[in-house]
Amino acid sequence: MQSAERRADKNKTKNEPWRDPHAEAYVRIDNITKRFGDFVAVNNVSLKIYKGEIFCLLGGSGCGKSTLLRMMAGFEEPSSGAIFLDGQDMAGIPPYRRPVNMMFQSYALFPHMTVEKNIAFGLEQEKGLSSADIATRVTDILEIVKLGQFAARRPHQLSGGQKQRVALARSLVKRPKLLLLDEPLGALDKKLREATQFELINIQEQLGVTFIVVTHDQEEAMTLASRIGVMNRGEIVQIGTPTEIYEFPQNKFVADFIGSVNMFEGTMIEDLPDRVRIKSDELGGVIYVDHGISAAPGAIVYTAIRPEKINILRAQPAETHENCVKGVVKDIAYMGDVSIYLVRIETGKVVRVTLPNVERMSDDERIGWEETVWLTWHGSSPVVVTQ
Amino acid sequence: MKTAGRNVASRDSLGRLGPLWSIFFRFGPPRWSQYVINNWGGQRLVIALPYLWLLVFFLIPFLIVLYISFAGPAPEESKLPYAPVATWIRDVVTQNEVGTQFKLLFTSYDYLIHDPLYVSAWGYSIKLAAVSTLFCLMVGYPMAYAISRSSPTMRNIFLMLVILPFWTSFLLRVYAWIGLLKANGVINNTLMWLGIIDTPIGMMNTTFAVYIGIVYSYLPFMILPLYSNLEKHDNTLLEAANDLGAGPIRSFLRITLPLSKDGIVAGSLLVFIPAVGEYVIPTLLGRTDQLMIATLLYNEFDRNRQWPTACAVAIAMLLVLIVPIMIFQHFQNKELKAGRK
Repeated sequence: MQSAERRADKNKTKNEPWRDPHAEAYVRIDNITKRFGDFVAVNNVSLKIYKGEIFCLLGGSGCGKSTLLRMMAGFEEPSSGAIFLDGQDMAGIPPYRRPVNMMFQSYALFPHMTVEKNIAFGLEQEKGLSSADIATRVTDILEIVKLGQFAARRPHQLSGGQKQRVALARSLVKRPKLLLLDEPLGALDKKLREATQFELINIQEQLGVTFIVVTHDQEEAMTLASRIGVMNRGEIVQIGTPTEIYEFPQNKFVADFIGSVNMFEGTMIEDLPDRVRIKSDELGGVIYVDHGISAAPGAIVYTAIRPEKINILRAQPAETHENCVKGVVKDIAYMGDVSIYLVRIETGKVVRVTLPNVERMSDDERIGWEETVWLTWHGSSPVVVTQ
Repeated sequence: MKTAGRNVASRDSLGRLGPLWSIFFRFGPPRWSQYVINNWGGQRLVIALPYLWLLVFFLIPFLIVLYISFAGPAPEESKLPYAPVATWIRDVVTQNEVGTQFKLLFTSYDYLIHDPLYVSAWGYSIKLAAVSTLFCLMVGYPMAYAISRSSPTMRNIFLMLVILPFWTSFLLRVYAWIGLLKANGVINNTLMWLGIIDTPIGMMNTTFAVYIGIVYSYLPFMILPLYSNLEKHDNTLLEAANDLGAGPIRSFLRITLPLSKDGIVAGSLLVFIPAVGEYVIPTLLGRTDQLMIATLLYNEFDRNRQWPTACAVAIAMLLVLIVPIMIFQHFQNKELKAGRK
């Protein structure tokens, strides 16, 4: 699950061009706004996407991500702002003249054409390609997506996964500068989705195309993306690598949107450059954070602790004055690889804790319902946000 | 303590006649009506009634027409317009019926195929119907396309406008065209008043007028199947085509047009099949020297009182149109199956 991180580790600025202040953005979105009547679908969005990236726009329904994608493809014109692709302004350029291709959520395969003709369709629109050239390129791309023997089939004779690969091949065969993917893995079942995620990354690395993926599925975004842009209500809320988004959310929305999180409202009682103490009534205790945060004195802050970073102890620990709280196990969800515990603490709040099922234990050895437990976490675990 | 399990209430409470009642309920009228309701009620009954109607009012008359078409020409004295096909053979001696003799005459059909009047009428009718269908397609496709692309409110209004002419009399609408096309009709008078022409254009009693009449009358039959097909088209297919580099015209020719093939065939057949047998429009608007097949049929039937020939014309028309009708059925089934998905 960490190919994006492995890539980052190899060569920082080569594989993370966004860290280089002098790097040229391949796709530049400048202050794009889109209004439908009174409704603002995309609100003053600016983005820089670099060549060879897989950039994910992540958000719930109605957040504007699909509208933004369609504006990049050319199906909608922005109400204001500009889109630059490889330095060229895309204003007024219709979709059939942009070096951009899109893979649709519903695949949009032409039902009256075979797989071969579907893929060749884009190439036939280009000038200067002989039918021999077209045939070669179609065969090549079919090999890459592993659909070599399905060339003569029609879309209604294909399974969902096969249709998805035809759609991918059709959009890649023209070697576009930018490939837009609208919920590419949405219609696939879980196992197929996981397999296709890695295939997609491999194909992207092989062909070197810049991907922009729109999705509402966090797992998809975390796996595929080199960077994620979280969107809410038409605005970009945070941009970062999957690690940054998950471990260092900048606000409550991002912390809550990605994965699960336990959020405690509180005020700072100790504010030092290298450590912070927060008193939280929601928690009924003190949270000790081992890094400094920047917040105005006396401001209300929100502490986010991820469920997997909390430890459950069945006996009262030696130190309970901070980063510790007592509670009663209210609910347990056994997921096979992990178990999710919902623990009600004394203030009434329910804390979510995830524990991996490391050992095979019998039922009475496990933590059970209505058991009194203590929750603890390390000082580096909490993330404090101010909004 | 457990009570006796078996429920013997029904038998005991009916008294001495109990056994008779059970036989009545198990084998008698209640059972029959139950059987009828189970097997013949509901869906089967609903289908049976129109089935019966079609049988009595379509199939049987058709068989009668078929029978008469094989008859000989009307004998001079007889009141019947044809000589009977089946005659009873009587034994000369005993005057008892010993059998039935069927005399099938193909003379009527032979006449149809060889008589120059008929041959030219066939050619003219089919040519006229085919060209009218083409015109209908060229006029109707853009209209159906525009309707399918408009907003839902406007769509309903447009569809109503397409169907509205059916609320008036077909005959009156054809007469209206006479008023428009004749020498001192509306069109000619307007053009002369504007000074564009000096003498009226001869539009009445021409093939041109028949084209106008047929296209005008049959246009809804072309528009509605086309619209029904075009409306089901997936817009994202056009977006995908655009995205892949095809402009609006190319996307239309390579995506929309092929996908509307079923609608085109359905609409065309819906216009062609009745147009071949059109009687009113050619009679009122068409040429008097070149007749269509339906006019000939009428002449044989009414003026010449040659029922065998008339019936042969009807059967021959059916045979000519059977292939288009079967193609139409095939495409209808395809559309139905596509619609159910």
